Amino acid sequence: MRANLDLIWYKVYAELSAEAARTFLGILWWLIEPVLYMSVFYLIFGVLFQRGGEDFVYFLLIGLVVWKWFDSAIRSGMVSLQTNAAVIQQVYQPKYIFPVIVVLINTAKFLLVLLLLLLFLLISGKPVSITWLALLPLIGVQFVLIVGITSVCATVIPFVPDLKLVVDNGLTMLFFLSGVFFDISAVPEHFQVWLRLNPMAVLIDSYRSVLLLGQMPDWGHLFWVLLCSCVLMVAAVRVFNRNDRIYPKLV
Amino acid sequence: MEGKKLILSLKNTGLFYKRKTGLLRHDKFWALRDVSFDLFHGETLGIIGKNGVGKSTVLRLIAGIMAPDLGEVIRHEPLRASLLALQVGVIPHLTGRQNAILGGLLLGLRRSEVEALLPQIIEFSELGDFVDQPVRSYSMGMKARLGFSVALYADPDILLVDEVLGVGDADFREKSANALREISRSNKTVVIVSHNNGVIRNLCDRVVWIENGHTQGAGPTDAVLEQYQQAHTTAVTSDSQAPGKAALVAGDMQSQA
Repeated sequence: MRANLDLIWYKVYAELSAEAARTFLGILWWLIEPVLYMSVFYLIFGVLFQRGGEDFVYFLLIGLVVWKWFDSAIRSGMVSLQTNAAVIQQVYQPKYIFPVIVVLINTAKFLLVLLLLLLFLLISGKPVSITWLALLPLIGVQFVLIVGITSVCATVIPFVPDLKLVVDNGLTMLFFLSGVFFDISAVPEHFQVWLRLNPMAVLIDSYRSVLLLGQMPDWGHLFWVLLCSCVLMVAAVRVFNRNDRIYPKLV
Repeated sequence: MEGKKLILSLKNTGLFYKRKTGLLRHDKFWALRDVSFDLFHGETLGIIGKNGVGKSTVLRLIAGIMAPDLGEVIRHEPLRASLLALQVGVIPHLTGRQNAILGGLLLGLRRSEVEALLPQIIEFSELGDFVDQPVRSYSMGMKARLGFSVALYADPDILLVDEVLGVGDADFREKSANALREISRSNKTVVIVSHNNGVIRNLCDRVVWIENGHTQGAGPTDAVLEQYQQAHTTAVTSDSQAPGKAALVAGDMQSQA
């Protein structure tokens, strides 16, 4: 177990430094890329369509940063057994470490961008509220959610590779349903109930309450997200353990 | 093998891979059907057979990477077996040193253990200052030297060697062959897979011969090799293209020597 942890941390460090070594600007790309990504959406929705009020930039940025962590981690983590096929066929390692490594890499990048976002809020004169402390449990819940979904997908995709396409398209759909561009609370009641079944909608809404409105998130909702994520994680660990020595034949 | 301790047994093991044969259709390709043999502490066991008879799959069973679909693999004590895989998980943009640490961790060592072994690994690999250069700037030979050194010093309970003696330049081939010879003479347990009889004869105490997924023979090296060669000579003489085949084997020997 401790050797596994050593491997996980070193691999995260190694992949990140390899990524930085691959380009001229290296580590700067972890900032440039999200800034580019966010400017595209800001141009379209903030400038072109004139959506939202004066706080729309912050509103949109929070949604995008939080979503991007979820989206990139799942997209690359769900195929992590395939991307590590050569390793899996040459040495024995418990398979859960591969999606976890990908999620950690994406988490490191997210934290960097989040820091940038907080700085931006400070510079723009947004008041720092005590509710910012609620970011810690929020990040924790979202991390568990991402690990849960990524691991479950990673356990199934070697058996049913088609699931990758389903998840890819599902993520695109969820992107538009998670309230990245709109305020869930502004949607008619009877739709809201359904939209809030989506854990990312709950999370994005919570980040906004905490950072922009100085309100504590809805802990009850978050607790449900956490519970479901834990169930997913336990399920993934069980499938991984049962098929630990089958995966090398499949990837 | 009287007096030697039995550490691992394969009992009637079979293993299949699934092959896609059409829309929603699969069939089973049996790489191994009925393979049985014992492995004793401290011996060097050779596994011979033609290409594609599942020799590498046998190593994966021993290493615990895969589980058999038929029969069982019995470990008589807890074992850390690792394949002497030359380039496990190499990341080209990282330095040789970073890749050595990563390789050691993948082979199951703790971070502190790898760090302690690094000077010896680097020394044996003869990479010198190159060890702090990115691996993508290495020649094939240099990569192979690094991989071999890591696997060697990772020091598993069972060292599994899969046709890797043809790597690197002539000097390093000599050195790695010597290192293997030394290990096989020592009290280490080694399993070597090869279709090169010279390598097997040189290093192994005992040989298992696998044909069509079945154990065809097992026993002292010379006896089994003789049977194997007889079976093959008959096959070659009955083959009208015997000279071509002989040349191929000779070419093989050269690249492996």
